[in-house]
Amino acid sequence: MPLDTSTYSLALLRLDGRRWNELRRLNAQISTQAAADGSSYLEMGNTKVICTVTGPAELKSTGGARAGGDKADVRVEISIAGFSGVDRKKRGRNDKRVSEMQTTISNAFAQSLFTNLYPHSSISLSLHILSQDGSLLAACLNACTLALIDAGVPMRDYICACTAGSTSSYSSNDEQADPLLDLNGIEEQELPFLTVGTLGNSDKVSVLVMETRVQVGRLEGMLAVGVDGCKQVREILDQVVRKRGVKILEGSQL
Amino acid sequence: MTSLKRSLGSDPLSSSISSKVFVRSTKSGKVQKIVRELYLRQDIPCSSKLCTACLATAPRDAAGVLAPFVLSAKPAGTKAYPNGHYLLPDTNALLNALDLFESTSAFYDVIILQTVLEELRNRSLPLYNRLIGLTKSAEKRFYVFFNEFRLETYVHREQGETINDRNDRAVRRAGKWYDEHLSQAVKAAGGNKKSVPTVVMLSDDKENLKKAKRDGVAACGLKDYVSMLENAEQLLDMIAVVKEGREIRDARAQESLYAEYYSVSKMMTGVKNGTLHQGIFNVSPYNYLEGSINVPAFDKNLLVLGRESINRAVQGDVVVVEVLPKDQWKEPSTKIIEEEALNKNENADAEDGEAVVTERERKALQEEVKKVHSKSSEGRPQPTARVVGVVKRNWRQYVGHVDESSVSQSVKESRKQQTVFLIPMDKRIPKIRVRTRQAGEIIGKRVLVTIDSWDRDSRYPIGHFVRSLGELETKGAETEALLLEYDVQYRPFPKAVLDCLPTEGHDWKVPVSTDDPGWKDRRDLRGLQICSIDPIGCQDIDDALHARPLPNGNFEVGVHIADVSHFVKPNNAMDAEASIRGTTVYLVDKRIDMLPMLLGTDLCSLKPYVERYAFSAIWEITPDAEIVKSDFTKSVIKSREAFSYEQAQIRVDDASQQDELTTAMRTLLILSKKFKQKRMDAGALSLSSPEVRVETESETSDPIDIKTKKHLDTMSLVEEFMLLANTSVAAKIYSAFPQTAMLRRHGAPPKTNFEELANQLKVKKGLELRTSSSKELADSLDACVDPQEPFFNTLVRIMATRCMMSAEYFCSGTQAYPEFRHYGLASEIYTHFTSPIRRYADLVAHRQLAAAIDYEPLDASVRSKGKLESVCKNINVRHRNAQQAGRASIEYYVGQALKGRIVEEEGFVMKVFSNGFVVFVPRFGIESLIRLRDLAETEPESTFDAEDYVLRTSGSREVEVELFEKVVVRISDIKEEGTGKRKVRLELVKTGGK
Repeated sequence: MPLDTSTYSLALLRLDGRRWNELRRLNAQISTQAAADGSSYLEMGNTKVICTVTGPAELKSTGGARAGGDKADVRVEISIAGFSGVDRKKRGRNDKRVSEMQTTISNAFAQSLFTNLYPHSSISLSLHILSQDGSLLAACLNACTLALIDAGVPMRDYICACTAGSTSSYSSNDEQADPLLDLNGIEEQELPFLTVGTLGNSDKVSVLVMETRVQVGRLEGMLAVGVDGCKQVREILDQVVRKRGVKILEGSQL
Repeated sequence: MTSLKRSLGSDPLSSSISSKVFVRSTKSGKVQKIVRELYLRQDIPCSSKLCTACLATAPRDAAGVLAPFVLSAKPAGTKAYPNGHYLLPDTNALLNALDLFESTSAFYDVIILQTVLEELRNRSLPLYNRLIGLTKSAEKRFYVFFNEFRLETYVHREQGETINDRNDRAVRRAGKWYDEHLSQAVKAAGGNKKSVPTVVMLSDDKENLKKAKRDGVAACGLKDYVSMLENAEQLLDMIAVVKEGREIRDARAQESLYAEYYSVSKMMTGVKNGTLHQGIFNVSPYNYLEGSINVPAFDKNLLVLGRESINRAVQGDVVVVEVLPKDQWKEPSTKIIEEEALNKNENADAEDGEAVVTERERKALQEEVKKVHSKSSEGRPQPTARVVGVVKRNWRQYVGHVDESSVSQSVKESRKQQTVFLIPMDKRIPKIRVRTRQAGEIIGKRVLVTIDSWDRDSRYPIGHFVRSLGELETKGAETEALLLEYDVQYRPFPKAVLDCLPTEGHDWKVPVSTDDPGWKDRRDLRGLQICSIDPIGCQDIDDALHARPLPNGNFEVGVHIADVSHFVKPNNAMDAEASIRGTTVYLVDKRIDMLPMLLGTDLCSLKPYVERYAFSAIWEITPDAEIVKSDFTKSVIKSREAFSYEQAQIRVDDASQQDELTTAMRTLLILSKKFKQKRMDAGALSLSSPEVRVETESETSDPIDIKTKKHLDTMSLVEEFMLLANTSVAAKIYSAFPQTAMLRRHGAPPKTNFEELANQLKVKKGLELRTSSSKELADSLDACVDPQEPFFNTLVRIMATRCMMSAEYFCSGTQAYPEFRHYGLASEIYTHFTSPIRRYADLVAHRQLAAAIDYEPLDASVRSKGKLESVCKNINVRHRNAQQAGRASIEYYVGQALKGRIVEEEGFVMKVFSNGFVVFVPRFGIESLIRLRDLAETEPESTFDAEDYVLRTSGSREVEVELFEKVVVRISDIKEEGTGKRKVRLELVKTGGK
């Protein structure tokens, strides 16, 4: 058993050697699968996600109130690989946690995409989680943004997400708690954290999820650090997109 | 098609990213492979005040605050390191000698590596916590260097390299880096080479030292280093002897004395499938060779008999046992076996021919077995077991004294190292073998030692000497010994705590203006006739009372409790300290406060004639003691008078006193009697424990006399209203916070606890003890009277009290409502509310009540179940320790008061063994053993009738001793060889009373 998060105060270093305001290594590629309309692969530390987009396509399922919509339907499906975590675990079809993540992502993109351009159609996002080490929802959101750009779906701006936490747990009530950026798996287990997603370079928060308890006083700091992190994430994603754009213009990847 | 490229290679930062991969197995036996990222960096400072380069890149926290650098610019030097030196201990050095690092005479400027810290944490959590404590203290200058995250000091584990070798290499690498870094830093600052401190690696590992020499890192063995220091001799003893001892023994290849422990996985599977059992090992206070373990699978305790079965378990350890076959089941022993009596003349140094069980021990046990087998009515044999493994050692520091006979005369004066026996004060702990050079000096002193290990080939555990407390039987040493033994925090309050006190100090007053924020939501009760009743000389007055008639014929009664929560805010240093201390500890001559004096005896204390903040519970009560309504509020009061119990009693009894205060007290007294009757009807128990008070001379606090405590009506007056307040508060906070209320429960004792006592009463007195409910028990205890002997009832009550469970604090969410019951008070729900100055539980209850009446929001720490549970766990232990420490202190003073006196007194036989009996002397509240061999010069022959609890002796002295019998004993004092305590010694004068 190596050290836990309580040693942060000794040298202001986190479990993996980062400072409070540092992101993990973030790597992404787009157009990884030629068969899909749009695809991306994203790593945030050891969290690894593949996303593919199908659509906008004609709505298949007829019947029910959804069929006659004047906006495109954003559907999200997440599958978590059995080998992605420390323990091999099989998740059922109706896992609550997974379906909540699906709804969160779907609601977020329903707002940022111009869905009104595609009535009676659906945009399907399919996410495969290959490896989990914290900030899963954030990684999924970022991967979706890239894949949707690759698919050419018009959008208002990028949705960029990351997590933010606090160095001491809820009950320890430490006055000098530092906010933390981009938590890894162990930190998520021990510390309170939230996932925040912003729209592009603005401070507009489009996703905010928090499931742990934290003192109200610390929330503001966490949110500020999280929003700041989102901007850094946007920079990185933007570079990935631009690099791809340059390649296309050179004609090498058509 | 595009293919996914490995992203690592393209990353410009990849040289600074590494990953840590390791495999671990969980409790359930699963194997997990863990992969973690490591971000290597170059901005981790060396924290030496010599270095300016690190200062520029040193990290700041979110608030932009820079942690100050720790290691001094001019560290102390020794002969070998004249330029001064920083110490760099490896894990073994810390494991073997953390005591050294805690000493104040040396060991400053120490660099603790992350590698070492992690390893230490894996090896021993208590040591890790102590080390963390050290790194937080500013004057010791300990710095934790996160070498695993610094690019230059990170080392990869090589193919085939063991993790220990890798870690040792990491330590050497860090040492080397520090060396180079410091000389660069000094050069940059323009200093000369002479002023570069050496970084000295401390290790006990020869291989590591050798490699360090090869790598050019200054390194030194722990022993060699300590011998260079000034007070080397004292310090040397603090190094654990484990290693050396083992080497000597290995050379001899001696046979092991004890059976080997099972492997952890074997124990775990055994416990899981029910073939083995896990529990806490307890040693009988009368027989050091008999232990017992309570396991869920059996209703009766499992007995562990004899040294071989006990197999190196020490009192309090969590052990795994294997039940022995049924034909080896035995009755608990009826014989007193004391270690020092049997193995008096052992030589601590002797190692050849050492057997686990000495001849005399074997004989003592043999007789036991014979007796059990010879009896026709086999009685009630109990399952026996043997220890097969220890899950968790519960070793702590033990107080004791050196067995003088184990010190060889010739070396008493010299400095030669020798092995001596240390006899712990706690009789249930075995002798500890200690190697020391100071044998001559520490004879006749109270000393503190630690157990280091207990190997299979050693009959006794091996330990090392920590420090000396002072001469035996001096007040200072004995008091400190007591406090250490019961783990009472007695050091003065640190500055951080004192900083939390109000700045006005003793001049603090209730604000005059009622607009002051302190008055917010406080009721002004200054007009009420309030008084307090406490023992004589009480300074920390927690509670005060008032009563007044209402126009409708009912009474208004108020209990006012010191408003400690106003001064002690949650989560500051003072609160943390109080929660660790848990309770104030009362010794005969000393009080160890939970809160600083300023609060306890002045600002919080409800002293008379001054205004104080209080937390009041006010009821409307009918003359028949029915509660019409209750109300809780924060208030300001002014106590009119502080009575002692005696003064209050005199005032109440004096019919000529008709003032308001006295009539109020009379009202309270009448009501309290009605409340008491109601409680008794509901089945509350009136239990008894031997209570005496030591009168001391006021100047020197030397004991002069011992008095049994007298009971006055005014005492139960106060008690009844405190119980009332506690119960009403408990109900209130439970309704407000069903999951997290701080409550106190007293479990119903299991029936088996009373079996022995019920049987004794039946056989000896023909009385029946019914234990099915507390009401039944209370009634049958009332019936236990002997018309000839008024004290008999009290005696039975004392014995019944010992069969009870102990009450405990708990957090309401952890138990079901029926389990909340307080058995002794026959109350459905109960808490402690009335003494916040001296108990932490009450302080928590205050905070919860304040939140329940919407006075202030509830702090997070008293709302989290997990946190409260850990608080409860701690204060339960502290509470028990405080009680025991108090009792032990009285025992010590009784011994001192009787010093040099010889008195004859009446006593009662409480327990009969086959070779002795226990006599209780109510006059002094003492209880002591009389052994057969104390009866006459040559030990008389005896027959013991276990059925009838009669011991008959013949031969050199003929007496017949039976249970509950009144005897006359001569009391004198004697210095007990075994524990070094001055103790009373009883001699039987005659049986059958005066």
